[in-house]
Amino acid sequence: MTVVPRSRASTLGDAPRLPLHERFVKGLGLTVMILGGLFPLAWMFITSISAETDLQSLPLRYIPANPNFGNYGRVFSEQPFGTFFLNSLIVSSVSTVVAVVIAALAAYALARLNLKRRGLLMTLVVAFSMFPVVSLVVPLFRLMRGADLLNSYPALILPYTALSLPVAILVLVAFFSSIPKDLEAAAMVDGCSRFGALWRVVVPLSAPGMVTAALLVFVNSWNEFLLALSFNTRETMRTVSVGVTLYQGEFSFPWPIISAAIIIAVVPVVTLIVIFQKRFVAGLTAGGVKA
Amino acid sequence: MANPTIPRTKSRRPRRDLSEGALALLLLLPAALVFGAVLLYPMLNTLWLSLHAQKLTEPWLGTPFVGLKNFQTMLGDARFWNALRNTLFFGLMTVGGSFLVGVPMALLAHVKSRLQWLARVAMLLPWALPPVITGLIFAWLFNGQYGVFNDWLVRLGVVSAQEPVRWLSTPGLAVAAMVFTIVWKTSSFVALIVLGGLQGVPKDLIEAAEVDGATKVQSFWRIIVPLLVPALTVALIFRVIAAVQVFDVPYVFISQAPAQNLLETLGVYTYTQSITFLDFGYGAALSVALFAVSLAITALYVRYVRGGDA
Repeated sequence: MTVVPRSRASTLGDAPRLPLHERFVKGLGLTVMILGGLFPLAWMFITSISAETDLQSLPLRYIPANPNFGNYGRVFSEQPFGTFFLNSLIVSSVSTVVAVVIAALAAYALARLNLKRRGLLMTLVVAFSMFPVVSLVVPLFRLMRGADLLNSYPALILPYTALSLPVAILVLVAFFSSIPKDLEAAAMVDGCSRFGALWRVVVPLSAPGMVTAALLVFVNSWNEFLLALSFNTRETMRTVSVGVTLYQGEFSFPWPIISAAIIIAVVPVVTLIVIFQKRFVAGLTAGGVKA
Repeated sequence: MANPTIPRTKSRRPRRDLSEGALALLLLLPAALVFGAVLLYPMLNTLWLSLHAQKLTEPWLGTPFVGLKNFQTMLGDARFWNALRNTLFFGLMTVGGSFLVGVPMALLAHVKSRLQWLARVAMLLPWALPPVITGLIFAWLFNGQYGVFNDWLVRLGVVSAQEPVRWLSTPGLAVAAMVFTIVWKTSSFVALIVLGGLQGVPKDLIEAAEVDGATKVQSFWRIIVPLLVPALTVALIFRVIAAVQVFDVPYVFISQAPAQNLLETLGVYTYTQSITFLDFGYGAALSVALFAVSLAITALYVRYVRGGDA
């Protein structure tokens, strides 16, 4: 046990060994946080592989007697859930690409160029993030019906792009602002055009910001319920967030199947969070808080 | 370009590029088009519609101009006031709750530990789940018979398995269950923003304070908390706006519980009038009210951001 040198080292930025009671509080807190955050989804998974009878008497069985993945098959046989999943994937991916490209262009202008009304424009961007989705359902429905876009991918891609743009722009403005202007100037002196400088200097350096913005748009789009429920009512055009609500009968809630559908529906966002958690936290904290 | 004595800033812009202003407009154009077509135009349309009567259930009446009649109806509508009251109550409870839970979460996710990645996944997960799915999951956890929460109470001997707690059909408990669910879901967001703030606190400041003899508690309250004020304010404003608009979780809970007048928020009521009853005119007036509340909060935000810049 190296005792004295370690505690001295703490002022040099090394993690100090905490006193016992602090370690206890930290351990307890982390345990509660991890269990509290993960248990609800874990319980959905257990439900999804349980027999209905295991779930219909108290006390409950937390380890199913006969784990059974049959409910996952029923998710796909009772509703065209594969189609819902593909629809969500297409709508969310396209929204993400479109929104990040448009946001990057706008954010570049807002962060790097001499704009007279920069403050006003930023305020407008923030104001657009306050539009209640509920207020947009009826007018957008009429608009989509007029353009014959109901039950199509653009019917969701357009609003998802618009609804995610403000936050994507805010994140990217913060990112672009943090890149020294001299780097770009140097590239232009070396013969790059302005777009060349943008493409070769700013874009690669802001990759973490782009990932963060993309993740925000994807999660927002994947999770959206209200517009998907209202605009794409044809079975072949539904998305997963609406799809998971279709397994309940008027008086019956087949929880094992609903749980299986929920588990499948959250796979993409959970995977993205697990893979990108570090980068995402870093990306959001790089300047977003200064807003 | 040939003359090296000319300051670089004047000469570095090649001729073929657009002027800066024109370029900026060009870059902002796609965003402006999307905002205009999908947010601004529909919102103006809602404003226009709120001054007209239009019921899809009575299409023969057309869309006559009625002035402020829809708003007059709103002021006399007990269900509107109930929804507004619920919205404000849930807003207060859930925003407060999400700070009480989210701030300690951020502190825990900030501490170095072997489990940090798992702590961060647990922190982010509730944020990443679709709200409608969160509603479904908690409706199952709060199930009046075989829900997990009842199971725990039975195991603790608080209630008997024959008479479990009817969470969602007991008015007070349904409200508590919904607050709990929304707090679980939204604490993530607060934690995320506060974590960002924490990472911006310079380490040497705290170390300097500790060298000067400050205790941990002192350096937390005197140094960290003041530096977190901007992050806390941003989190607060975004949380309040989200709370005003809350829709998915109450929507799912109402479908599972008869305590509608206790759980109905302004967002849900606007949806009910517009989509379920197809009363577009009145629904639009409610939308305007909802938007006005959001906008009032936005104004506060803008004031804060502007004030912070000055």
